[in-house]
Amino acid sequence: MKKHLFAIAALTIAGNVWSQRKIEYVEYDLPNGIHVILHEEHATPIVAVSIMYHVGSKNEIPTRTGFAHFFEHLLFEGSTNIGRGEYSELVEKNGGALNANTSQDRTYYYELLPSNQLELGLWLESERLLHAKVDNTGIETQRQVVKEEKRQRVDNQPYASFLTEMFARMYQKHPYKWQPIGSMEHLDAAQEEDYVNFYRTFYVPSNSVLSIAGDINIEQTKKWIATYYGSIPTGQAINLFRDFENQSDEAFLKTYGVAKTKFDSKNFLGSKDVDALKLIKKYSAMPTVIPRPERNEPAFKGVVVDTVYDNIELPAVFMGYRLPEQTNPDAYALDMLNTVLSGGTSSRMNKNIVEKKQLAMAAFSFAFPLEDPGIGLVAAIGAAKVDIITLQNALDEEVKSVQDALISQEEFEKLRNGKENDIISAYSSVAGIAENLAQNYMYMGSTALINSELTKYMAVTREDIQRVAKKYFTPENRVILYYLPKPKN
Amino acid sequence: MKKIILSGALILAAAASFGQIDRSVRPTAGTPPTINIQDSEVFTTENGITVILSENHKLPKVSIRLVTGSDPMNEGTKAGLSKIAGQLIMSGTTNRSKDKLDSEVDYIGATLNADGESMYLSCLTKHVEKGLTLMTDVLYNANFPDSEFERIKKQNESALLSAKSNPDEMSDNAERKANFPNGHPYGEIMTETTLAAINKADVESYFRKVFTPKGSYLVIVGDVNKAQATEMVNKYFSAWKGGPVYKAELGEGQFNKGNRVIFVKKPGAVQSKVTITFPVKMKPGQPNQLPLTVTNGILGGGGFGTRLMQNLREDKAYTYGCYSGIDITDNGSWFSASGNFRNDVTDSAIVQLLKELDDIGNSYVKESEINLTKSAMAGGFARSLENPQTIARFALNIIQNNLPKDYYQTYLKRLDAVNTENVLEMAQTYFTSKNCNIIVVGNEEIIEKLKVFDADGKIEMFDAFGNVAKEVKPADITKEQLIEKYILANTGTTSMKAATKAIKKVKSVKQVMEMSAQQIPAPLTMTTYFVAPNKEAMKIEMQGMMIQKEYFDGKVGASSNMQTGKKDLTAEEIASKQKSAGLFPELTYATSGIKVELVGIEEVNNTEAYVLKMIDGDKQSFDYFDTKTFMKIKSVSIQKEGDQVIEASRSFSDFKTVNGLQFPHKMTLMMGELGLEGKVITIEINGTVDETTFK
Repeated sequence: MKKHLFAIAALTIAGNVWSQRKIEYVEYDLPNGIHVILHEEHATPIVAVSIMYHVGSKNEIPTRTGFAHFFEHLLFEGSTNIGRGEYSELVEKNGGALNANTSQDRTYYYELLPSNQLELGLWLESERLLHAKVDNTGIETQRQVVKEEKRQRVDNQPYASFLTEMFARMYQKHPYKWQPIGSMEHLDAAQEEDYVNFYRTFYVPSNSVLSIAGDINIEQTKKWIATYYGSIPTGQAINLFRDFENQSDEAFLKTYGVAKTKFDSKNFLGSKDVDALKLIKKYSAMPTVIPRPERNEPAFKGVVVDTVYDNIELPAVFMGYRLPEQTNPDAYALDMLNTVLSGGTSSRMNKNIVEKKQLAMAAFSFAFPLEDPGIGLVAAIGAAKVDIITLQNALDEEVKSVQDALISQEEFEKLRNGKENDIISAYSSVAGIAENLAQNYMYMGSTALINSELTKYMAVTREDIQRVAKKYFTPENRVILYYLPKPKN
Repeated sequence: MKKIILSGALILAAAASFGQIDRSVRPTAGTPPTINIQDSEVFTTENGITVILSENHKLPKVSIRLVTGSDPMNEGTKAGLSKIAGQLIMSGTTNRSKDKLDSEVDYIGATLNADGESMYLSCLTKHVEKGLTLMTDVLYNANFPDSEFERIKKQNESALLSAKSNPDEMSDNAERKANFPNGHPYGEIMTETTLAAINKADVESYFRKVFTPKGSYLVIVGDVNKAQATEMVNKYFSAWKGGPVYKAELGEGQFNKGNRVIFVKKPGAVQSKVTITFPVKMKPGQPNQLPLTVTNGILGGGGFGTRLMQNLREDKAYTYGCYSGIDITDNGSWFSASGNFRNDVTDSAIVQLLKELDDIGNSYVKESEINLTKSAMAGGFARSLENPQTIARFALNIIQNNLPKDYYQTYLKRLDAVNTENVLEMAQTYFTSKNCNIIVVGNEEIIEKLKVFDADGKIEMFDAFGNVAKEVKPADITKEQLIEKYILANTGTTSMKAATKAIKKVKSVKQVMEMSAQQIPAPLTMTTYFVAPNKEAMKIEMQGMMIQKEYFDGKVGASSNMQTGKKDLTAEEIASKQKSAGLFPELTYATSGIKVELVGIEEVNNTEAYVLKMIDGDKQSFDYFDTKTFMKIKSVSIQKEGDQVIEASRSFSDFKTVNGLQFPHKMTLMMGELGLEGKVITIEINGTVDETTFK
């Protein structure tokens, strides 16, 4: 009897082949341009509240690199209604956790809270968007913190500079040529005004996606969102409001020709004065233009070979190839190609280079999913006493073998089973769901993609994998970086 | 609930009128959600396995974790055995080669891994039968092939090499040795020597001993019900046999009297990793565990709001992050607080860390602080429940540590009851700022500033693996006698007069060495020149390509290398060269102004040696002379260049007579993390040396 039950259970599940768990959500735009995405599920009494801003290091100017990441730190300093250091305290004191991260393309802030604290999370993020504290005190503190972060994550870690070195050689024009951590000299050189301008340009409603997932009631959540976010001024009126709060009476009058006293400080948008209203209307109609770089980098010609001397014991080789933007249909086949090469212990690189030939401590290939054309990386850290050219040849050989022949049917099945497992497992946390929903909307232009990912992967053929290997992994079109131990005198 | 909807409606009405809200009013919390912790099913099997089942049908996935019940074993001269064994478990079975095993695991998209104490399988429910077939094949038939054994050993040799440049690993090793010395398994660290001593039979016997059903736990989580789980356990695990489970009473670690500073050198480091650590008398589930965890939470247990973070990051900006933690295990528990700090604030950071350890035991923490930590812990507890593994871990903890069955059901209530008096008592009972191990991994230039923290003012030097450097013994001769004996031994003479005569006969020396390093693809050729009375030069080539060149012609000189180009010697460098010129610069120490000190006798490369220290401005060097043969067996030079300290050490051996003089024919050169092995190809005395060598 027991056996019987098991068989039936197995059958039901097997019948579900390729059906990933459907993520239900609702989405809409607020009049000021904030895009809202809500996902409701009650398995655990927690909620993820997040805002993704469409600003990353690629929106920086070459003499002010590191700004986007710096803001990720600065915007924890408080707001008009939140004291210095209080931001994190408020979250922690209410049983939540918070963090943020910055990539080349976006900056992401989130709180994970007990579900009865949803309103707090909404208020906190709305404060950050409306009127965060951007002043010298905060800038000074965070400058030191960011420098320590760079020392710890980049300077003091073996091989950690490879991203900086690789991207710098891969791009001549596109801002991807610098890393989000940026230049400490630029951060030092920048004045308060530079920071304020960055905030005014990029931290505006139309550049943000508010994504909430977890134990919520959608109707109630919408009401709170209307309160805290619907009240945020639209267009340039948000900066009018920021000036109203930050500038002296004199300065404000000089800038706008209307006295601050004409505005209602408790209900700014509802100010009764005719001149004030006129000004609000005028600035609301003025859209915020977000500077975005030219997407395509000039064609890449020839091989760049260079050596980096680092505080390391074992040599390494990093090879970068130009890949298409992450919305490109080839992205799925490229991801699967990477799995063939280095996903799991039975992957080709691990089997052949690490285990059979024993040439490497580790060998890997992965893609940087970026909004504009990105980088595919094939790399290995050598085993003791292995020379770097032998190591490079072994990597090249693996790439070539995928280009020369179709992967076997069995390898292909393995690949698909693995993907299925990955995608089913991916949406097990509300934090992950909130971020994925926002990301799909922001880059892919379609939130719905979250539910068709598995189908897209399953549509990739063996021929596709071979085709993208040939198309993008061309030996005459790459950056090769050798990492060698630093001679000390 | 009704109330909430009502207030929501009011707010909506307000929003409609252009969002008139008072943003300075902070939202209040709704009704706390109820937290339900589902009971796990627990049953035992005839062969001694305790099975814990935690059903969760959110995703069509199952995971099965097998946890063995043995206590950690002493590994002694084979330290690292459990780690090596763990890495080898997945190396193949009598039925499947490693390749086949790996590819069958990957084929079903599963995860199957093992360490020295456990195995773990995770896969889609539809593949669980196949997954268990593979898991139990490993459990019953793992066969540890020779080739894999050699491969894993080699891989660990490489890993040990890179551990020498990893501050976290160096610090962790020192921490374990400091807290758990004298043969406690936690303080046993794998080194090149212990790794070499491990053989295949050790691994096999370890595996058979530890992986026994008796006392083991099988934790099943996910999309299966009890009937299915019982069926699986019967089908796959009833055939498992093995000996008794290993149990040991291990000590609590070593408590210091007074603070002990331990320094681990990381040449060229731009920041120091500081760890303050001491053992804690605590076992899992004891009543004080929760209040102690709250106390640590207030101090530095995570988040931005802790005392350590607020002080060292937010206020002083010494660091990106500074945290404290308490590891509580059945076999020994310890506290540690650590962070990375730039060199010039390392000592200030230690002052603040110790101050925080003091302060928390000196007065009641603020209500706001304890509330912050308690809320953070309660929130963390709630968030952790999202992961189905959590429930299973709770069940396992209850059984492993004999906790009350409702331990986690009552967790939030017990947490809520912790008050500031408990915290003060915990801090006074378990924390100390006076009996700590203060471990610093970093640049040697900061070491002087650390002496004040050590109870006896003596800093202990550990190597990367937590081994203590040997003590220095006082010398039994004077520095003048040492230099004389060295010169006599080198020239094979019995008087200084004869020695001087022999030295004068040497007009030039040209030595060619082949240098190899595992990190460098091809061997290097290093040629050194000496032309009497004071010209010297050195060049390093790789396959005919000049990598580095240095020369000094008695008056001027330069160094050039591939990356930095040519650099003339500065006035100071020239002065320094002039002071130490000649075949035996030791002969002119008395007159040249170099400060010389005979430090004592130290063990170097397993040989007792006199240590002679030379200071010339910013440059320091140490020479080591064999106490029996008086040969110079090692020489270390340390030089400041900007912010960096550059250290080069040379070890000499295989001494042979050439034209009446002793020359080492083997040399090991260590520059920072680069190690080179050199052997002499030729030594030519009084040949002609091309003048271009000194240009």
